Amino acid sequence: MKLKALFKSIAAVALSSALLIGSSFAANHQANAEQMSGKIVIAGSTALLPLTQQAAKEFKKLNPKVKIVVSGTSSIAGPQSVSKGVATIGACDWDATRSVGGFKAYSDLKAYKIAKIPFAVIVNKDNPVNNLSIKQIQDIYAGKITNWKQVGGKDEEIVVVNRVKGSGTRVNFEDKILNGVDIKTSGDNYIEVGKSGDMVNKVKSNPNAIGFADLAYVKGDIKAVSINGVQASTANAASGKYVFYGYGYLLTKGEAKGVDKAFIDYMLSKKFQNGSLKKLKFIPVK
Amino acid sequence: MKQSLFHTHKRNISKAIHFNKMMTWIATGISIFIFFLIFSLLYIILSKGLPKMSVHFLIGLPEEIDAGGGVGPFLLNSFYILILSLIMSLPIGIGTGIFLAEYAPNNTFTEFVRTSVESLASVPSIVFGLFGYVLFVEYFQIGVTIIGASVTLALLNLPVLARVTEEAITAVPKELREASFALGATKSKTILKVVLPAAMASILTGISLAACRAFGESAIILLTGGTSTSGVMWDFNPLSEGGTLPVHLWYVQSEALVEDAQEIANKSAAILVVITLLISTTIRLPLWIKEKISQLKNR
Amino acid sequence: MERLSNNLSKNTAQSFNLMRSQTKWTKTYVHNHLFRYLCVFSALFLGITLFSIVIFISKTGLLVFKDVSLSEFFFSTKWDPENGKYGAAVFIMGTIYLTAITLAIATPISLCIAIYIAEIAPNSLKNTMRSLLDLLVGIPSIVYGYLGSTILIPLIRKVTGATVGDGILAASLVLTIMILPTITRIADDAICSIPKELREASYALGSTKFQMITKVLLPAAKSGILTGIILGMTRALGETMAVVMVIGNVAQFGFNLITPTSVLTSNIVMQILNVDFDSTWNYALYMMAFLLLMMSMIFIILIRKMRPKGVK
Repeated sequence: MKLKALFKSIAAVALSSALLIGSSFAANHQANAEQMSGKIVIAGSTALLPLTQQAAKEFKKLNPKVKIVVSGTSSIAGPQSVSKGVATIGACDWDATRSVGGFKAYSDLKAYKIAKIPFAVIVNKDNPVNNLSIKQIQDIYAGKITNWKQVGGKDEEIVVVNRVKGSGTRVNFEDKILNGVDIKTSGDNYIEVGKSGDMVNKVKSNPNAIGFADLAYVKGDIKAVSINGVQASTANAASGKYVFYGYGYLLTKGEAKGVDKAFIDYMLSKKFQNGSLKKLKFIPVK
Repeated sequence: MKQSLFHTHKRNISKAIHFNKMMTWIATGISIFIFFLIFSLLYIILSKGLPKMSVHFLIGLPEEIDAGGGVGPFLLNSFYILILSLIMSLPIGIGTGIFLAEYAPNNTFTEFVRTSVESLASVPSIVFGLFGYVLFVEYFQIGVTIIGASVTLALLNLPVLARVTEEAITAVPKELREASFALGATKSKTILKVVLPAAMASILTGISLAACRAFGESAIILLTGGTSTSGVMWDFNPLSEGGTLPVHLWYVQSEALVEDAQEIANKSAAILVVITLLISTTIRLPLWIKEKISQLKNR
Repeated sequence: MERLSNNLSKNTAQSFNLMRSQTKWTKTYVHNHLFRYLCVFSALFLGITLFSIVIFISKTGLLVFKDVSLSEFFFSTKWDPENGKYGAAVFIMGTIYLTAITLAIATPISLCIAIYIAEIAPNSLKNTMRSLLDLLVGIPSIVYGYLGSTILIPLIRKVTGATVGDGILAASLVLTIMILPTITRIADDAICSIPKELREASYALGSTKFQMITKVLLPAAKSGILTGIILGMTRALGETMAVVMVIGNVAQFGFNLITPTSVLTSNIVMQILNVDFDSTWNYALYMMAFLLLMMSMIFIILIRKMRPKGVK
């Protein structure tokens, strides 16, 4: 009898405590969802900066207590800052957990694919050339084709514009278009520029220049050439017919936790992917 | 004999006069040409940016997607960081200048300070930026902030300020000092009451040059202040992100995808030029007023 | 009795006065020394801070010689860091060449303008011209670079027939405009601070204005003008953001002025953000920054040696 009562009371205590703990957990969880707080530091790629800044702005509106610091210097700064611990999220134009384009692999990081980025080979609007094969582009950058007339254009010397080593766009260009062909990095007709904007300006101001940039920059006095006869467009890149595209990645140290996870989840949410991300001319990954 | 000497002399004089005229014309011509260049440069920058300027652009928040965003927080940060950096660098820079010009004994310490001051002026500002980055972001772990940007910017200003102050003070004639000593003034009093006022014009020129250069600096801010702001207006927290207008201009010109990027860049450049003009005139205003007053008195 | 008290009060007043003047004297004394110490302290602070930057740059930079030999770094022209080639000769020569050409263009022009503003221009114009020059200093270098790459380079292409147009010529012209105000303003200040008496004495001896300027003013303002040139030169040496947009950034010699090339600063700023911090590549870039520092130091010492004795 006594024993039974004891059991009963123990069971009651256990049950109530379990209930209590459970409910307190639930309450905690609810509080978390309502008022998440913390600090997110994003560093890295400038090419992804429009995307991360816009996402930070929207995320802050939803979670006013979260402080987000966004800055951009270069792609490699993304994985570097995260692995040093000075940033919680790194933005990079390639999967930095693998060794790509001469950069070492950051194996302690976890990469989240957040957007598909279409690129374009660009020429001046006055250039009559509208289509180039991958082989032709390779030969132009290798210095084997030096005159536009060899690819059906005017009798003018080709000015080859390249991005600086370490640029995410260049890494993708070498990966998707050049396929290991060596670039001729000297001569009177070869220059390198630092940023996408500089690239656009060079091609804009020189009628004989060829270069490459994100498809989003193609407007005004520059145009994108078709590659292997496939027109450079977001639709063709989304379907995979157009080969010159890459992915933007967010990197965290180990698995993403807490506010970082919430932020990455927000960037991967349907609302953001089909909203702002599309408006910024990136392609949704989901 | 005498006659011919007179003649050669006369010939020399007329040659000198001719030469004088020619050189005057050449100097005038070159100056006019350069100022024409400067004018057209300013005209290009201002005419592209000013006509579409609006208050909303000056104090509005930036946009990433839609056209019509402003540069308010960036503009505010620009002033805030400049003022903080000047507060830090002016006393130390001018103090060092005075030390080098008036007190410095001829020893290794002096040589060491002078050499550091002079040689650091040629180090690209991005190296200062990296130093600031290692110090604030990696060592102190406070991230990219307004305070980090202003301290690093102050480091950039210091050599210029020290050098200009030293030069200005050395140019003050010895007689002034001797007269002051003869009246029984101490060295500090002589420097504060006699030498500094006499050198003020040149020092102010130096300060305005340093301030204008600091205002337009982008490489340092990019690394220590970051590319964005806290996203709200009137945020004076020194631990907020410290993106300034030149950095925003750099960003807009190099990577931004917003529709009116080119227009924002043009407007920002125009604002920067106008503000530079304001800075250089306001710094010199007290001097100008003093000059006017003394002119009136003399009359 | 009355007299006594009178006397006493007089005495007290006197001694009081004496005491006051003594405290005043001590105060001045303290002030005097305090001010001195403040100046010494700020110099010390500045010296230490700047020195720590120099140490930071040199310590990081010198690490490059663990992997690269001295002769390769200084004399090899092959810069290909991905394949372990770290020859910086192209950038070193490029920097010296670019600075020399910039100074050769900018110095005479700046002196002409300084003389014009200080001696020839009508008074009403003087201050306007000075503020205009100050304005140029404040224009961000990116704007110069942008205008250079969109206006100047197409012009160079048209005039010289070059295919690209980027190179030493474009860079030196942009730099000239950038350092012109620095040299001009400081030279102008130096000329203006020369006492009137010198000018009057020269005129009284019958010299023309031009003779007065070349024989009296310029020698007297030498120190200030040299300072201006040094400051201008160091700015040209260290300028990055504008140069990088017009020089082409290719690791090859550009002695014919219109071949795309690269200098120390442009190479540093283009690559330093894109490399791992603990890599030989990064150390090599820091070594280049250290070289810039050493170069300007050598220039400065040379110019100091060249100054006639007696002129500081």
